[in-house]
Amino acid sequence: MSLEPAFVARPHTGLAGVVQSIAKYVKILKVSLVERMAYRGDFLLGTVLRFLPMISSIFLWKAVYEGAQVDSLSGYSYSQVIAYLLLVHISRMFSSMPGLAAGVARDIRDGNLKRYLIQPLDLMAYLLSYRMAHKIAYIATSALPYIGLFGLCWGYFDTIPSFQVFLLWLLSLVLAFFLGFFFELTLGMLGFWMLEISSFLYLVNTLNFFISGHLFPIDLVEPSWLASLFKMLPFQFLAYFPAAVFLGKVPPEQVLPMIGLQLFWIVVFWATARVLWRFGLKRYSAFGG
Amino acid sequence: MSGFMRFPRLLLSFAKFSLASEMAFRWNFLMKVGLELLWLAILIIFYRTLFVKTDTISGWTETQYLFFVGCYYAMEGVIETFFLENAVEFSELIRKGDLDFYLLKPVDEQFMVSFRKVDWSTAPKVFIGAILMSIALYQLGWQWEIGRVLAFIGLFGGGILLAYGFLLTLASTSVWLVRNQSLMELWWLFTTLMRYPREIYQSGWAWSLWLFFSLVMPVMLVVSIPAETMVRAIHPFWAIWVVISSIAVLWASRKFFRRAIQSYRSASS
Amino acid sequence: MSALIQVQNLCRTYKVQEKSPGFLSSVRSLWARKYKTVEAVKNVTFSIEPGEFVGFLGPNGAGKTTTLKMLSGLIYPSSGTATVLGFVPWEREDPFRRSFSLVMGQKNQLWWDLPAADSFELHREVYSLEKTAFKKTLGELTELFGVERLAKQPVRELSLGERMKMELIASLLHQPKVLLLDEPTIGLDVVAQVAIQKCLRDYNEQHGATIMLTSHYMKDVEALCARVLVIAQGELIHDGTLASLAGRFGREKILRLHFEGTAPPSWIGELGEATIEGPVVQMRLDRSVVASAVSRVVAHGRLIDLLVQDPPLEEVITRLYAEGAIQSAAASSKEEAP
Repeated sequence: MSLEPAFVARPHTGLAGVVQSIAKYVKILKVSLVERMAYRGDFLLGTVLRFLPMISSIFLWKAVYEGAQVDSLSGYSYSQVIAYLLLVHISRMFSSMPGLAAGVARDIRDGNLKRYLIQPLDLMAYLLSYRMAHKIAYIATSALPYIGLFGLCWGYFDTIPSFQVFLLWLLSLVLAFFLGFFFELTLGMLGFWMLEISSFLYLVNTLNFFISGHLFPIDLVEPSWLASLFKMLPFQFLAYFPAAVFLGKVPPEQVLPMIGLQLFWIVVFWATARVLWRFGLKRYSAFGG
Repeated sequence: MSGFMRFPRLLLSFAKFSLASEMAFRWNFLMKVGLELLWLAILIIFYRTLFVKTDTISGWTETQYLFFVGCYYAMEGVIETFFLENAVEFSELIRKGDLDFYLLKPVDEQFMVSFRKVDWSTAPKVFIGAILMSIALYQLGWQWEIGRVLAFIGLFGGGILLAYGFLLTLASTSVWLVRNQSLMELWWLFTTLMRYPREIYQSGWAWSLWLFFSLVMPVMLVVSIPAETMVRAIHPFWAIWVVISSIAVLWASRKFFRRAIQSYRSASS
Repeated sequence: MSALIQVQNLCRTYKVQEKSPGFLSSVRSLWARKYKTVEAVKNVTFSIEPGEFVGFLGPNGAGKTTTLKMLSGLIYPSSGTATVLGFVPWEREDPFRRSFSLVMGQKNQLWWDLPAADSFELHREVYSLEKTAFKKTLGELTELFGVERLAKQPVRELSLGERMKMELIASLLHQPKVLLLDEPTIGLDVVAQVAIQKCLRDYNEQHGATIMLTSHYMKDVEALCARVLVIAQGELIHDGTLASLAGRFGREKILRLHFEGTAPPSWIGELGEATIEGPVVQMRLDRSVVASAVSRVVAHGRLIDLLVQDPPLEEVITRLYAEGAIQSAAASSKEEAP
């Protein structure tokens, strides 16, 4: 995915501008859906393969709980741990941005940014709409296999959240999308200063993977100061937080403030990306592209 | 000039030049090593987390499990250093129809395909794994037994051969199957079966998995058997099964590989 | 008495499986396959003596690369036989692989990040070449190709032409008796092309290696090959010298007339279509009328200079492919070819 806009039309203002954006948006959405449909057999397989490692987790944690001979570890029962791991997949569905940082860095390195120096096109707005369209298509086409898989694992969900909690969960997922987007964008902007960025990105993403609670609930991490540290970082909102909200592990009075914090981090990364973009572009044009 | 000594010498050359090639990108290399250390940290934290909560996992005590982790890490190190990158490249070359290089040289193709590149950034894993294993042994108050050590080394080697055979077979299927999932992803799936003691699958419906992946496709044995031989009990049946199946898998994977090359050559233009 | 390379009725037909991407379609294809048959090489017969430098011409997809790959043993023929240096190529015996080389243009065998010297050293190991003999050969080759200073630089820093030279050196380190080159100068600038042509010619003369060269570029073939095989749509349609190729297929001649004064005589247009630039006239005439045209001009015009030429070879070949004179030529060539 490069920074090439699907079509470059003269931007309109006002209502015409809004209509134009929506039209562009719908077009990208349609294309993404068609793409996904063409590969649906493969896609189904991919989804199944992504969930297969759950089998190992299911039996590993079973062995842990049997060995510990308690019902609850750090407030999580066995089924809640498994439910958590399943929910983290959904968080991931919203917050993962494959290829975003690498794509931005690659375009910087290959010198494809000239049009952004000349025309009043906004890279970030373009990328955001592109990703949103793709995400919607992705979620729409994943819905069926995911529902099937979750239905299979229904036994692990012994608490059903209230409607209010459910809505908050959805909200945190949507926000996780934006947080993931701006974070990856910021990483990509580092491409202005770092020539060979791919291995660095890989490192950061692995770190992110762990710190955001993909492997197991942050509450369980030992030593406990490490768990507290992880909970101070923004990355928890990419995987852990939505799952914890769903499972009721976040005390009701803390949910809204935490969502506020999530918003705060979105703004922080948005601002950082903008600043880096401005400075990076200056540096870029200074070097003649 | 020919004869069996060729292969070790060639391997040495491949290793030497791979190192020189990686050193051309020092920053990248450091990042890769950093990545491996990060994974080690994650593994250790995971392991610590589990054993704060419980004393045993399916019969494995904390220090025994530490040995298992070290054994797994070292085994992964060997496979990633020597084989993984080559398998991925082989898969790619098949896809692009570009295997000519291997087919034209007067050296056995399987050797070339398997050993052409040595990934030095993962080589430290072997030593770190060895260190972890040593720490575990020390904490266990383990007494030196030459028999156990030799059995361990033999079974560790058997595990590597099994893993290699499966990896080669998986890569060779690229001739017939077009897939979107990369070889790395599929291999990662494979390794989820070997990264925990196989005893955890001795429960409920997982027994069927345990049976299949211990007897038919012995992936689960790769780390479990060498590790338990050293710090728990030697089970002669499984030890012998590792030896037999590793030879069988090696033989079968070679046959499969050659079949794949043949098919590639018949279809190619 | 048998030639170094002997090819008899070589055929290569293969079925292209129409593979759709995706895992499930692959699995489905394991029992229900859709095929398309392609006849890449049809009944090709030729033989090449030691030391010859033979060109292999043909349009894209004609079967040149497929034929070379069969001679290298990379792919099996569907029928027919071939021997190279007494070996059956597709059995890929070790002694065979040690005695020939295949170089394909734009395909890199050298390690990208390392100096060519390292790749050469690796080559030495792979072919089990003795050290002193190897050093000597390497020295000669780097001198011949003029790249002594460059061997220590990483291959990725070299220009395309220099890289190709290194590839060729690597292919010659084990002193192959047969060298097969598939478009070696493709993508190179003219200077590099000429340089490589010279190196190949020198190598052929000095070492007597048998070389088969395929190329799009007529210049390569004109510069290097005494003998040319032309293959089109899988069939061999010509086996002989370049001159005979033009002679067989070129129907026209180009006439260039330089008249005294400032303009040619007014009747010049009666001879045929002419491009006139001051006193210089350029015309294309069918072979059959050239003699009468020339005699008329000489008799009635006042000439400073007269030139009769074959059209450029490219043009001959292009027209050849395009016109489908292929079919009839193939029929007639089977009677003429040696």
